[in-house]
Amino acid sequence: MSKWKKLLGIMMLMFLLLVAAACSDSSSESGSDSSGDGGSSEGESTDSGSDEPYAFSIMANLHTPEVPADKVLEKIEEATNTDVEIQWVPDNNYEDRLNTAFATNSLPEAVFLKNQTTFVQFRDAIEDEQFWEIGPYLEEFENLSKLKENVLDNTMVNGKLYTLYQGRPLSRQGIIYRKDWADNLGLEAPTTTEEFMEMARAFTEDDPDGNGQDDTFGVTDRSDLVYGAFKTVASWFGTPNYWGEKDGQLQPEFMFDEYVQTMDFFREMHENGYINQDFPVTSKTDQQEFFKNGTAGLYVGSMGDVGSLKDDAIAINPDVEFDVHNYVEGPDGEFGIWAIPGYGNLVMFPKSSVETEEDLKKILGFFDKMMSPEVANYAYWGIEGEHYELVDGAAKVTDDSALFEREVKPFQALEIGEPETNGRYVGYFDYEPKAKSEELFIDNENYLIEDPTVPLYSETYSQDGARLQQIITDATYQYILGQIDKDGFDAAVEDWKSQGGDAIIEEFNSSN
Amino acid sequence: METSTMSAREEAKQLKKMKRSETWRRIKKNKMIYLMILPGLLYFLIYKYLPMYGLVISFQDYKPYKGIAGSEWVGLEHFERLFTSSEFWMIFKNTLMLFGLQVFIFFPIPIILSLMLNEVRHSFFKRSVQTLVYIPHFMSWVVIVSISYVMLTLDGGIVNAVLETLGLQPINFLLNDEWFRPMYIIQVIWREAGWGTIIFLAAITAVDPSLYEAARMDGANRFRQMWHITLPAIRSVIIVLLILKIGDVLELGFEHVYLLLNSSNRNVAEIFDTYVYVAGLQQGQFSYSTAVGFFKGIVGLIMVIFANWLAKRFNEEGIY
Amino acid sequence: MAKLQKVSAGSRVFDFFNYFLLTLIALVTILPFIHVVGSSFATSAEIARTKFLLFPTEFSLNAYEYIFSTDTIFRALGVSIIVTVGGTLWSMLFSTLTAYGLSRKDLVGRRAINFMIVFTLLFNGGMIPTFLVVQQTGLLNSLWALVVPVTINAFNMIILRSFFMNIPESLEESAKIDGANDFSILFRIVLPISLPAIATISLFYAVTYWNTYMHAILYLSDADKWPVQVLLRQIVVLASGMNYDSESFTDVPPPETTIKMATIVVATVPVLLVYPFLQKYFAKGALLGSVKG
Repeated sequence: MSKWKKLLGIMMLMFLLLVAAACSDSSSESGSDSSGDGGSSEGESTDSGSDEPYAFSIMANLHTPEVPADKVLEKIEEATNTDVEIQWVPDNNYEDRLNTAFATNSLPEAVFLKNQTTFVQFRDAIEDEQFWEIGPYLEEFENLSKLKENVLDNTMVNGKLYTLYQGRPLSRQGIIYRKDWADNLGLEAPTTTEEFMEMARAFTEDDPDGNGQDDTFGVTDRSDLVYGAFKTVASWFGTPNYWGEKDGQLQPEFMFDEYVQTMDFFREMHENGYINQDFPVTSKTDQQEFFKNGTAGLYVGSMGDVGSLKDDAIAINPDVEFDVHNYVEGPDGEFGIWAIPGYGNLVMFPKSSVETEEDLKKILGFFDKMMSPEVANYAYWGIEGEHYELVDGAAKVTDDSALFEREVKPFQALEIGEPETNGRYVGYFDYEPKAKSEELFIDNENYLIEDPTVPLYSETYSQDGARLQQIITDATYQYILGQIDKDGFDAAVEDWKSQGGDAIIEEFNSSN
Repeated sequence: METSTMSAREEAKQLKKMKRSETWRRIKKNKMIYLMILPGLLYFLIYKYLPMYGLVISFQDYKPYKGIAGSEWVGLEHFERLFTSSEFWMIFKNTLMLFGLQVFIFFPIPIILSLMLNEVRHSFFKRSVQTLVYIPHFMSWVVIVSISYVMLTLDGGIVNAVLETLGLQPINFLLNDEWFRPMYIIQVIWREAGWGTIIFLAAITAVDPSLYEAARMDGANRFRQMWHITLPAIRSVIIVLLILKIGDVLELGFEHVYLLLNSSNRNVAEIFDTYVYVAGLQQGQFSYSTAVGFFKGIVGLIMVIFANWLAKRFNEEGIY
Repeated sequence: MAKLQKVSAGSRVFDFFNYFLLTLIALVTILPFIHVVGSSFATSAEIARTKFLLFPTEFSLNAYEYIFSTDTIFRALGVSIIVTVGGTLWSMLFSTLTAYGLSRKDLVGRRAINFMIVFTLLFNGGMIPTFLVVQQTGLLNSLWALVVPVTINAFNMIILRSFFMNIPESLEESAKIDGANDFSILFRIVLPISLPAIATISLFYAVTYWNTYMHAILYLSDADKWPVQVLLRQIVVLASGMNYDSESFTDVPPPETTIKMATIVVATVPVLLVYPFLQKYFAKGALLGSVKG
């Protein structure tokens, strides 16, 4: 009997020990990792002796399968005299982690926001001064002060700057197509939407691979109206980038005739089988598969994808030839291409973890050094001779690209600025279309269609915009698939307006 | 006469006292049992009940940086928004339809499957089949849905290729609202039926083999044996599982439905979880998604209470 | 004895259909898994050519070489094994105690306690308050955070309880007369005859622990402590092209399908192996034999 009692006693104790008395436990348990836990005060308590590496944590999104080894991080720490702990969070669950950490006051000293959507979501908190305003400090730092004015403007909240940005080419959109197919059929790269349609038709109907079978189609697309083909084609037709001015008022893109023309264009392609029939449910991987294995010949999206597409396509068919192209005129004879606001990721500094101005300056100091060519190259290209080589002053990833992807690629999430401002090497590509795509990114900058609402704010939009957008996205797909007609689409737009769209229009226009 | 009423009152008092002391006696007698369940209760109190204060944010305009104490109270505003939203009844109907499929189509399948397995006498065959059918449970929905896409797509999917060689019209499985429900339930069956048999097979082990023997002597055929011996043995487990399933009325597997959802089937595929996903996760509307969760809990609770009451009326144990 | 019995024609027809159907079902359910395993041994080129590949014509171990070339997967598998084994033992201990206690019909307040537990199946406070409790109880960034907050799964506990309730009370009564206390009744009488139920619920816990993933991301900021599911999930999501946030990293090519499939195999096979070992507890009549013996 007493034996059982003893056993029970031990079990109870185990549970209670863990559960009730463990508050004090957290510091001993997690040791050096504890900056991830609530509040983290270790960074701040470090003596400000100037030789001591400054310790702090960064939360960043992991967009590769594995967390990287410390090799590159050690180089960065050495060069910046810091002791950085990076809390990697898988891309797909970043919002969960970010929201939880934020609501429980356990954000680390520097927090990447992953994308524009989360930035909009945090606007409220930013206005409430939960994060440091860094605008006034930038000029104290040699490199940070070089950040592009126009991109910084895009990231301001009520005219104040709270974030450092990670630069992105303004527009990488264009066409990748099967050059060998085009040559077989005597076609040139399409320069008008009509020629594009003709190429899609020919790739579908004229047996471009010459195997005598009807086993190809034109355009391969995926379930993404923005980064897939639709928005880029819409730009060719002259549709505004999300919002545009009509009758002296800002209005959403889908209220413009050009948007409807684009839908008609897709509807025609879909009806004739020039595009994959199930594109509204096709994933990026499956979309690319059609292109790699010689089923489809036109890919509209980021022209930079040509590199990785080629690698796999060559393994299937060594004779495959790709090319990239950007300039396609709409019916009005003009070419335009939509632009992103110039940043990909943003980093903020919560006041809950960065307690003093002194600390803030140290952390900004770190990011200032991140923008020096030496450190920026570590973060973006890794270690010279090991991960990359210099060819003509540009970085070429070594043959062991798996090593690069494992040890370096994740750190690219930490880049601040862009090559023009942080001085890192640009990429060297011996695959010609890939090199060409880099040039076309720059060429695109001559034809940009900007989103006029980027610096504007609409409360309804930030609260309900995503749900409302769903109405339009659904209607757009249904129209393309022929499941609704123009009246049905107009009804959806009316629905959008009545559920909050009218308020968004008004709010954007009044903040303009 | 007077004395007798007195004594009757006294008696009642006595009885009450006795009852109380009886209760006490029973509690005392079982003090070790209370000790046994104490760690478990502590667990539920600390990790399940303590966080429940979080439900109050469904009556607030919750802002993470203000905390629950600092956030503004808005009363029933979020519930109002949910009930008056134009999609509410559509979502409610969609959810109930999927729930119906789960209960009436999916639920019996593992039971039938385990009865079938129970009739197998070759131990090796039985074990092999058991192991094979339970494997799909370990494939994530992402994998299952992407495999389905590969098979069903119009762009070179196997199923449509077969239909075409048979001279039939290809079927637009993916972008058609009529195919969503069949696809949903077939995938659920495919993934979970084998897994679901485990519990029933465990319950069947309690059957005394001599009962089958006796039944055979009486000339009962295999179906009668199943009906009169095997099924009654697992009845209580079936009822417990059924009540628990009914409580999950509005929980239909967010990830699965979300992956199947597209522009062409939203009118039948949108359920509460997918509906709040856009609002809650993508836009940080904690209060609204909590309110929807609260609503789901209440519906579940009503269903459980009802199902449990029904079970008790049929002299079953129920779940509480 | 049974062999002496003449097997009727009806019974034979039944057997035929039963075996036939079960074989068919097994085949249909296993096909996609064969597809996964087959693809993991294929070359990328073959995958791109063949839509639904079952058996590769060119056999390749590249994907496995890639996965095993760093110690990430070993570490992750190690964490998963520790959490699964430890967590299952931990959970079974408390679940068994609670379930047995609540299976006793003479327990005062039993119904209220049961209801209280059912209630937790329907309502939860949400991610943030739960995080706070985990933080306050000092579990953050320790593997305990994957175990203690899910100590008892109410669903599993209720099932276990209903199994216990099916045990004839006479067994317990007679033990009581022999002077045994509640603990020895539980451990010496109830548990030995409940092995199928114990095996089932252990399996349920083991699988839950093996699949744990969201808690790891929320509670463990140190990536070295991530279990294998985090890695698997990340690869599957990236390789399926489902991270729609394409705006930030358009240039990162997704992991190859072969690597995705190989990771699924490596992360799934260990837990698949558990069941065949437990099956001996599911033999018909095993339970009664032990009671009678």
